[in-house]
Amino acid sequence: MNPQRRTFLGRTVSFIASLPFFSFFKSQVTAREVSSTRVTSPAGDKARVVVLQREGMVRGDAVDINLAMKMVNEGVCHVTGNSLPSGAWRELFTPKDTVGIKVNCLGGKGVSTHPELVMAVVEGLRIAGVPDRNIIIWDRLTSELESLGFKINRQGEGVRCFGTDSNYDPNVEEVGAVGSCFSSILSRQCTTLINMPVLKDHDLSGVSLSLKNLYGAIHNPNKYHDNNCDPYIADLNSHPLIRKKLRLIICDGITGMYNGGPGFKPQGSWPFQGIILSRDPVALDRVGCEIIEAKRKEKGLPGLKEVGRDPKHIMSAFKKGLGIGDMKRIEVVKG
Amino acid sequence: MKNFCNRREFLREISSGVCALSLSSGFTTIENLLNAGPAYGAEPPLKEAMFYKKLEDVRIECEICPRACKIADRERGYCGNKENRRGIYYTLIYAQACAVHNDPIEKKPLFHYLPGTNALSIAAAGCNFECKFCQNWQIAQFRPEQVDSYPLTPEQIVKMTKDQGSPTIAYTYSEPVVFYEYMYDTARLGRSQGIGSVMISNGYIKEEPLVELCKYLTAVKVDLKAFTEKFYKETCSGELKPVLDTLERLKKIGIWFEIVVLIVPTLNDSEKEIREMSRWIKERLGNDVPVHFTRFHPMYKIKNLPPTPVSTLERARKIAQEAGIHYVYIGNVPGHEGEHTFCPGCKKIVIKRTGFFILENHVKGGKCSFCNYPIPGVWEKPQAIQPKKL
Repeated sequence: MNPQRRTFLGRTVSFIASLPFFSFFKSQVTAREVSSTRVTSPAGDKARVVVLQREGMVRGDAVDINLAMKMVNEGVCHVTGNSLPSGAWRELFTPKDTVGIKVNCLGGKGVSTHPELVMAVVEGLRIAGVPDRNIIIWDRLTSELESLGFKINRQGEGVRCFGTDSNYDPNVEEVGAVGSCFSSILSRQCTTLINMPVLKDHDLSGVSLSLKNLYGAIHNPNKYHDNNCDPYIADLNSHPLIRKKLRLIICDGITGMYNGGPGFKPQGSWPFQGIILSRDPVALDRVGCEIIEAKRKEKGLPGLKEVGRDPKHIMSAFKKGLGIGDMKRIEVVKG
Repeated sequence: MKNFCNRREFLREISSGVCALSLSSGFTTIENLLNAGPAYGAEPPLKEAMFYKKLEDVRIECEICPRACKIADRERGYCGNKENRRGIYYTLIYAQACAVHNDPIEKKPLFHYLPGTNALSIAAAGCNFECKFCQNWQIAQFRPEQVDSYPLTPEQIVKMTKDQGSPTIAYTYSEPVVFYEYMYDTARLGRSQGIGSVMISNGYIKEEPLVELCKYLTAVKVDLKAFTEKFYKETCSGELKPVLDTLERLKKIGIWFEIVVLIVPTLNDSEKEIREMSRWIKERLGNDVPVHFTRFHPMYKIKNLPPTPVSTLERARKIAQEAGIHYVYIGNVPGHEGEHTFCPGCKKIVIKRTGFFILENHVKGGKCSFCNYPIPGVWEKPQAIQPKKL
């Protein structure tokens, strides 16, 4: 898409948004049941990962919400193989779902899931007919969500947003080398999960993408830092609470970090201005990791393995059957 | 874009979403989603941690325990209660107590330390081990924000201890090594006012902080979880060697300490292991160190094993006695003969206990009142000392 065409599209969308009767289209959306949680590509045993980048996604400190929404809708169309956003969202979610959107707030405002991008996802869920009260934006701590600018809403009308805080399940769930109490938001409130990590380097696990973001769903992630967090990350993601509920991953790559994570460091970040989507957490992490490695190479930095931060958890997750880690079997759709 | 919509259809689809965002009343809008309100759940004030060094790239290395966590900005150590914030390592649980009780000192257990007195016992969230049989996992294996804690300053703790007439403060339940700063300041203040301090610990602490802390402690209890690296690694996520080092350092420092060995059926109860452990204690620490073999109850991640048979504890006690250790106890079996202190000289019971209660005490001036045989321990209340200037 050339810049003129993009500008035109953006202006048109903005204009259309101002016309009241266009809300009609929302009412045309009808729901249907989603029967499976397919992680592979519509094409078969390949996984599909969608990488969308747009200049102008951020202007100053502000994310262009209209552009973000357009990209998210385009992305879910590619992910599902559906030609229309309405069909794509309805393939993924139903009005009966309670959808947890797991964001990542750890990096502070510099490198965390942007509220504007989350809002774009909320709009998609509305297209699928998911009631606002059935949408929960969450992370570990309410205070962290609040510090990013999310408005906290535990019980009121509308989209809910709060942290797990001290509300973990009372019983320890053991899976592989991991034994943890899960966030009750994930275990008791959500029926489905959208994972919204950020595109970043990590001091221990090499990268923090889709798989690592679920460390924020357990009470004791600090116990699983040894050996580059391997096999712990893969073990955690194999738990049915995650494996069965995970429906979609949308990685916030508005700002990427190629070095110095997980806390934000301007000198280790770059404006990737994009999002990465998939239904396959392993494939998404594999592609995200390649993006980070390529940026490190471009900046003259050694590879993650060379600096003792081999993100081996991705291949461990592949070996556990949590998704596809072989690049030959990953279809990358760029736009 | 195979099977995808044309531009017009796509535009229409996107527009509907935009319209919903912009126009729908009663829905959450971006303005509603974004916060404009007051801060929620304000954090308690932070205190900079002791014993860490700064590394490059805003990273730090913790020097409190042998784990020596290297921690990036915004990350926490294994204990979960200290965090690197822009290159400064902070404790998140300073003056935040998650448990406060006035316990009999026998509950710690310390049997040769002011018998029959109480210790104001406090804890803060976190631990540098993850024992699969953790008896206090609801506070030791959680992070501070996941546990109910209450502001309680060192000054308030010392005052409470004095008000309750207890001679001692115990740092216990979770792992005091990971709330070192809180323990250190409290012990130092208490010592200046004639209040003793005892650390109930796994002994997983580096030499420098241990030596510094012992200036203000009056006794230490160390859990010797087993006598194999395998057990420490697989069951506790730790190492045996540093714990043995700590025990030898305590001996060298000259502070009173006792050892507890929780016997877990099939995991650390072999005759060979108990014998080797007893021999090591006798050779390296001497035969006057009390050793408590205590009964395991199924808990946390080990729920598939039964409570330790009393006969197993009795066998362990016999092995340790045969190795020459004078004071060998059985714990968590109220009413058992192994709760009493026997004089090595005349073999009579010099302190008779049941559970946490003292029934008879025949130790006078640190000696058996029957035969004058010296009984080691802390029998006098600590004197007030002025804290050293650091």
